Amino acid sequence: MDDGTCQVYEDEIRLLEEEIKLLAEKYEDGQQESTSFSDEEILMSIKSFQREFQGESKGHESPSDLKAQLESLETDLSFLMKFTGIQFTNHSKKTVEKSKNRTVQKHRLSGNCHSLSFQLEFQLLEMQNKENVSAVITDLTIIMESGDDSDVRKFVSSTEEHGNLLTFFRSLSSYAEWYEHRRRTFLHFKVVY
Amino acid sequence: GKMEEGKAYSPDGVFAHLEMLEARAHEAAVKQEATEQQEEKLARLKARVQELRLQRDELRAKVDLQQKGQLGKEGVVSDLAQPSARAVLEWKIKNIKATLQIFYLTGISGKLTKRGVCFCISTAYEGTYLDSYYLDLLTKPEVQIHRHSVPIFIPLEQIAKKYLQTDIRRFLSVLSDHLNAYVGRRYQADQLQEHFSDQIEGPLQRNSLCNLLVFNYNVSSRSKTFPFNVRLLYGDPCGSLPTEVIVSCTPDAPASLAETAAAHSDLFRRVALHKAFRSFSGTEES
Repeated sequence: MDDGTCQVYEDEIRLLEEEIKLLAEKYEDGQQESTSFSDEEILMSIKSFQREFQGESKGHESPSDLKAQLESLETDLSFLMKFTGIQFTNHSKKTVEKSKNRTVQKHRLSGNCHSLSFQLEFQLLEMQNKENVSAVITDLTIIMESGDDSDVRKFVSSTEEHGNLLTFFRSLSSYAEWYEHRRRTFLHFKVVY
Repeated sequence: GKMEEGKAYSPDGVFAHLEMLEARAHEAAVKQEATEQQEEKLARLKARVQELRLQRDELRAKVDLQQKGQLGKEGVVSDLAQPSARAVLEWKIKNIKATLQIFYLTGISGKLTKRGVCFCISTAYEGTYLDSYYLDLLTKPEVQIHRHSVPIFIPLEQIAKKYLQTDIRRFLSVLSDHLNAYVGRRYQADQLQEHFSDQIEGPLQRNSLCNLLVFNYNVSSRSKTFPFNVRLLYGDPCGSLPTEVIVSCTPDAPASLAETAAAHSDLFRRVALHKAFRSFSGTEES
């Protein structure tokens, strides 16, 4: 039946379009994740982009739009780092699995909270269900600078066991503040006495 | 007269015959057009399928090469061999957005607004991230909460009164404690209903804050099942373990079960609800 054949083709077209979309995203993710540009390269790009703009095609964002977007994002990030005391010095991620409803990424993160530095590795599984996206952390590894402290070690291993990334950061903030306060107090006494 | 003779030869008859022939021809033409259109459509669809298959195969090859790390050597496949300034900026924008997403995982993230800040408090139970709550704050003339999505059974006003003006970080931290505890209690009850419904008898009664749970569950002893009733009160709003537990069994239950009830009561105080039930499945009494 012609109608039947039409349907078969239309179904295949839909599937192919989905697959193409997914592959294109995979490719873009791969490009993003395997590239790195220094701050100087970024600055140079901002300048040369504004010069280049004469020949740009329509439908693209203008250099001032992109620049404004970049600045707004940088301001937000710098505010958050200052406010929470958590500075990320390095972040890399790699998409290890991507399908229509499911993405798994491997993250490597290093930074410090006040004077405490940390290094983390974890897998983030995101699943799209009817209403929202769920996020689950697995395979969490934490390396802390002050790992000699037995309390810290106990805390770290229990956090790792349950994938308690959120608890780690929440506790890190208060621990770092306390640690910082204690360090300053100690220094103060050292100076005074 | 002429009118009564064979209709085919009367002017009316010929006319009718011609009409009929015309109609037939028209029908045939319409059918022909429909068939042609159908064929055209099929051909179009077939061509589209070929086109898409080709596109898909090319992309697959591109992704495979990329996985093997060979991109960039030929220059043709790699878009970033000579990155345009636009591409570099777009890369940086994506990169910062990714870091901002990480802040979401830390529990406090946010965005500056024209009149202040909009904070997002994320909650999680162990490795599973749950609801996020928003607080749109104005910072002038003093810090105020403009809008928020915090549920009404969380004492937001109380916490704000105590900390908002003097220490925003502390305010968010305390609020986060309340929210995470609430979400943690709710998660345990949900997990119980989802995974251990066969052991639960009747409804699981809970309040909005999920700090009071009452339900019945079955305990087996010597191939008989007995219903236990449990009442869990979570006295600490920032805690996700109950502070008061009452486990009781029916009067006709054997005396040995009193010990079990006491053991369960103790367990519920120390271990998350769904984990406690998980341990029951492993150690069933015979």
